[in-house]
Amino acid sequence: MAIQLEHVSYTYDARSLLRQTALQDVNLELAEGLLTGIAGASGSGKSTLLQLLNGILLPTEGTVRVLDVTLIAGRKPPKLASLRRRVGLVFQFPEQQLFAATLEEDLIFGPLNFGASPEDAARRARKAVGQMGLDEALLSRHPLQLSGGQRRKAAIASVLAMDPDILVLDEPGATLDQVSRMELTQLLHRLCREEGKTVIIVTHRLDELLPYADLWMIMHEGRAVFQGTTRGLVDEARQLPGYGLSVPQPIQYWLELEEAYGLQTEEPCLSPSGLAERLTQLAFTEAKKARAYA
Amino acid sequence: MREKLLIGRLIDTGSPVHRLDPRAKMTAMLLYAVMVMAARSWPALLCLTAFSVLIMILTRIPLRMYLKATRPLRVLMLFILIVQCLAVKGGSVLVAAGSWHLDSAGLAAGVYAVMRMGLLVSFTAMLTFTTSPGQLNQALEGMLRPFERAGIPAERLSLMTGIALRFIPAILDEAQTIMKAQASRGADLKELPWKGKARMLTALLVPVTVGAFRRAEDLTASMESRGYRIGAPRTRYRPLVWGQGETWFVGAFVLMCLVVIWIGFN
Repeated sequence: MAIQLEHVSYTYDARSLLRQTALQDVNLELAEGLLTGIAGASGSGKSTLLQLLNGILLPTEGTVRVLDVTLIAGRKPPKLASLRRRVGLVFQFPEQQLFAATLEEDLIFGPLNFGASPEDAARRARKAVGQMGLDEALLSRHPLQLSGGQRRKAAIASVLAMDPDILVLDEPGATLDQVSRMELTQLLHRLCREEGKTVIIVTHRLDELLPYADLWMIMHEGRAVFQGTTRGLVDEARQLPGYGLSVPQPIQYWLELEEAYGLQTEEPCLSPSGLAERLTQLAFTEAKKARAYA
Repeated sequence: MREKLLIGRLIDTGSPVHRLDPRAKMTAMLLYAVMVMAARSWPALLCLTAFSVLIMILTRIPLRMYLKATRPLRVLMLFILIVQCLAVKGGSVLVAAGSWHLDSAGLAAGVYAVMRMGLLVSFTAMLTFTTSPGQLNQALEGMLRPFERAGIPAERLSLMTGIALRFIPAILDEAQTIMKAQASRGADLKELPWKGKARMLTALLVPVTVGAFRRAEDLTASMESRGYRIGAPRTRYRPLVWGQGETWFVGAFVLMCLVVIWIGFN
């Protein structure tokens, strides 16, 4: 098991009057090599959950197990460097994540801290820049000279350069255009399928991740109110408005198809091309039936 | 980081002190600060302490929160205590070791200084615990308004103070986010040796300063785009009202001042 959370709660300012509970009694089990989507309304605890996976936050109750590292509430944590080398975390606001004088320095920061040689770190930086579709000429620029979208890509590249086993991304597509978002999702999907990386993505655009995600987790007011496969999410989709989320359009269309053609046992087609293809097949079958009757 | 910095944060318990006009609280704080500095005897300091505790209880905020507010200054307080103990000589010798001796006057001076600082910080924390930054700002502007004729730009000053107050937590948050980003990529401040800690903190300066300037620019652009102009006639969403409660509150502080002065002369 790559990640296991047992009765985990997290409270900010736990020992003061200003305490604020962000997570309550969350249980989670994620196997290695899966792509998981996490969704929920703003303030539902998604970002807090992600920071627990990298040891940036420590649970105030319960136990977090990530790979071979165990973090138990109230106990002194072990050295976290090995955990952070293997769990790459992309924060919600990339402009606050870049702090070095040049983009290249920022990209090699992680690999150097985790023991890579300067040459290897520079090679990884260039590879990550290429993976994110950024021009190598940007490497000598100050991160604040980049556009919003470039900064977002640079922040993701800074984590890819560390080559972690688990990639945790907090709304990675928030400031990217549609094409870049699609390319990023496909890259993460490829890393998951071809290199066996575990990928966890927080997103508000469920429709874009639906065709790729193996598992889903829905958060509401600090609790994990749904955990399961994409099929399970489709079955529970009508509950989503109650959690402050709208039913994604692909699921809406699929539910209509399911009802019209009795497809409840089928694996849902949730990409536009998949839906179009299934619709064509159904129309063809209907037409064949109509001809047979005639 | 913000968790440790309590001063400057509103703790709303809905107490009568919270509901007071902020100008009354600010006037009271000024009187209190003057008295703490002027108190020169144990009875005067004890009287001030008793008065402080009474007002703190009225705010319904646990006393430990006031103690916590002094925590960031504990090293400075210890330093002052040691310096006073070493520098001030006189009275009876309490401890002697070779040629060095701790005198009663030195210890008394040290304890005086630490008590003064503790009282001042914990009690002035009451102002920010019970008043929102917006109200504080409004009070400052109200109090400076009469000095406008003497060329003091009240509105400008209160705007600057208000923005500065709002920026403190925002900048702390920004620094914390960068530190988290550094930690997540293998440079955790807690796990680094002292030299590494110093290097990481220096590395924080540039992005945090740049971030603060960017925020300031965004804020001014946003205010200007919504028609804000210094000197433009403007009404208040919540006008300040000075009632009987405010007069009693300031009156209690005036009485405290008189008692402390009386103790000083006797």
